[in-house]
Amino acid sequence: MCGIAGLLITDPDQRPQLGALLAPIFEAMTPRGPDSAGLALYGDGVEVHKQVGPATKLTADMALADRGGTCGIAHTRMATESAVTTEGCHPFMAGDDVGLVHNGSFSNYATVRRDLAATGVSFDSDNDSEVCCRLLAEQLAAGAGLAEALGSVPDRMDGFYTLLVATPSEMAILRDPAGCKPAVVAEGSGWVAVASEYHALSELPGIDEAHVFEPAPLEVHTWRA
Amino acid sequence: MPRTPRPSATFPAAVIEQIHELSDVGHYEIRGWGAKRAVPSFDDLTFLTSSLTRYPLEGYREAIDTTTVLGAGRAERPLVLDVPITIAGMSFGSLSAAAKEALGRAASAVGTSTTTGDGGMTPEERQASAKLVYQCLPSRYGFTPADLRVADAVEVVVGQGAKPGGGGMLLGQKVGERVAAMRTLPEGVDQRSASRHPDWTGPDDLRIKIDELREATDGQVPIFVKMGATRVPYDVKLAVAAGADVVVVDGMQGGTGATQDVFIEHTGIPTLPAVRQAAEALRDLDVHHDVQLIVSGGIRSGADVAKALALGADAVSIGVAALVALGCNRSTTTGDDRSPPEDVTDDYLALGATPGTCHHCHTGRCPVGITTQDPELEARLDVERASRRVENYLRSLTMELTTLARACGKSDVHNLEPEDLVALTVEAAAMAGVPLAGTSWVPGAGAGLP
Ligand code: SF4
Repeated sequence: MCGIAGLLITDPDQRPQLGALLAPIFEAMTPRGPDSAGLALYGDGVEVHKQVGPATKLTADMALADRGGTCGIAHTRMATESAVTTEGCHPFMAGDDVGLVHNGSFSNYATVRRDLAATGVSFDSDNDSEVCCRLLAEQLAAGAGLAEALGSVPDRMDGFYTLLVATPSEMAILRDPAGCKPAVVAEGSGWVAVASEYHALSELPGIDEAHVFEPAPLEVHTWRA
Repeated sequence: MPRTPRPSATFPAAVIEQIHELSDVGHYEIRGWGAKRAVPSFDDLTFLTSSLTRYPLEGYREAIDTTTVLGAGRAERPLVLDVPITIAGMSFGSLSAAAKEALGRAASAVGTSTTTGDGGMTPEERQASAKLVYQCLPSRYGFTPADLRVADAVEVVVGQGAKPGGGGMLLGQKVGERVAAMRTLPEGVDQRSASRHPDWTGPDDLRIKIDELREATDGQVPIFVKMGATRVPYDVKLAVAAGADVVVVDGMQGGTGATQDVFIEHTGIPTLPAVRQAAEALRDLDVHHDVQLIVSGGIRSGADVAKALALGADAVSIGVAALVALGCNRSTTTGDDRSPPEDVTDDYLALGATPGTCHHCHTGRCPVGITTQDPELEARLDVERASRRVENYLRSLTMELTTLARACGKSDVHNLEPEDLVALTVEAAAMAGVPLAGTSWVPGAGAGLP
């Protein structure tokens, strides 16, 4: 039970506005996930911020509105089967710089976790999303591209999910086979924005001209910065 | 005032009767079916289905996969089944040809396999079964290279749940002309099969046998190894070391056509801990994606199937339940297009049983024509009607299984996992390795028990 938010800037001139544009989308997701909030911010490298408490506290504490960059993915969490702790906050990082946020719940994560643990993978939390992130990291480490790695998730992970993933150069999204968990994408002039609910995107400059759509189930969409 | 008669807990009426019978005849009791006493079972587990933390799949709109692939690790032609429920090995001899054919037709209709038994393969069952597993038993009765090459899988039988450590048994009244000819035995004489294979004992020699079978089948079909559930973790690991593509573990509730009652009731461990131990053994070896696990012994419902899968089985086998679906323990025959079903309660009574309590397969006098070689009795089972019943039953089991798996949020029945289950008794929690309901307590967890 969570909210996801993401913004990728494709127009270099708009990069200084990344934080100012992303903060309201992120904060609008608070009712979906008041327990904790987290953000991966890409620009010169990647910064990960996570804390227990609402998104508004995190955006204020880090002065997100003043930050520029190429891409940010964010998450507001309503904890289900694992504890409300900073470790349980999204984004989860696969490797050094691949961030993942997830809305939904996986129904076979204990099995996949056992398999990964047997190969020496270690976990920071008891969170189902972290299992997916470690799986993704394994695929990427084996040489798969982001779209390919994300597209292979349904082969192993069962359940319901919207997954939003970012690297220093790309952002990608995938929804479960039933399209059960929500996601809205807006492709605007110089930016691509993602949120769990449309209202979070409605104040973006140029939203009326943007291409707004719900990704179809199992369709991987990727965008380059 | 006269006192109320006081029965003994140590010597209840059934025990007294049994002692009287043994003292009359001077030998052990032989019977069919599996253990009749209560043991911890899948009934002692319940599913934690979806609510708010997890979401169920819609019954009629969202697909769920039941496809089951056995022996994918090594065989050129793995056994691909549409459902994870197979028909266990039961011999022609123990069963009538009509019963074997009905099972074959039903299994083929739902896309699953049947299995031969002691005494070889009949042309009818090969023809009726789209997928047929050919057993290699200690007796080797009727075991031929020609049949080996038309099998869809080979199952080396080390033992079975009803009698781990014991051999097959077919009493003389069932050794009719055709059965005798297939087994090259004299007619009408009791057949007691060997308990050990003639050419191997232990995993070192079994490895050679498996290599031989793989060579004889040109590496095309998977080789199963079936065992009764006793020292499960070690036996499963040794079967894998010997080269098994699929391990079949048969718990103590597993049935038989005939064996000593003392075997049926006092050997082996229940299917519940057996499946957990076998799955753990395969995981320990890190072969659980390559070597599949089939479990059997007392599987009756889709709930049993779902729980076995959740604890780590890839498929289950049913034996007694398939016979019951055929009409075993019914008061009437199937009837056929010319005649209506006939009440045969008196024939059960003549065996010392009633419809619902019969375990007299060993006598060859099956009132409903299933476990007999008597042409008149066999004619009581209409192949068409009997196979329809088993087909209906297999479809019902599958629907029950997918109902539970969907409710657990799975789009593939094989994604059921131990974390979907809790136990209703302390015993079942310890045996299955899942928490007692309402607690996080798994008795014995971390104790390093096998
Ligand atoms: S009815 Fe036939 S198959 Fe069933 S237990 Fe009796 S003898 Fe065996």
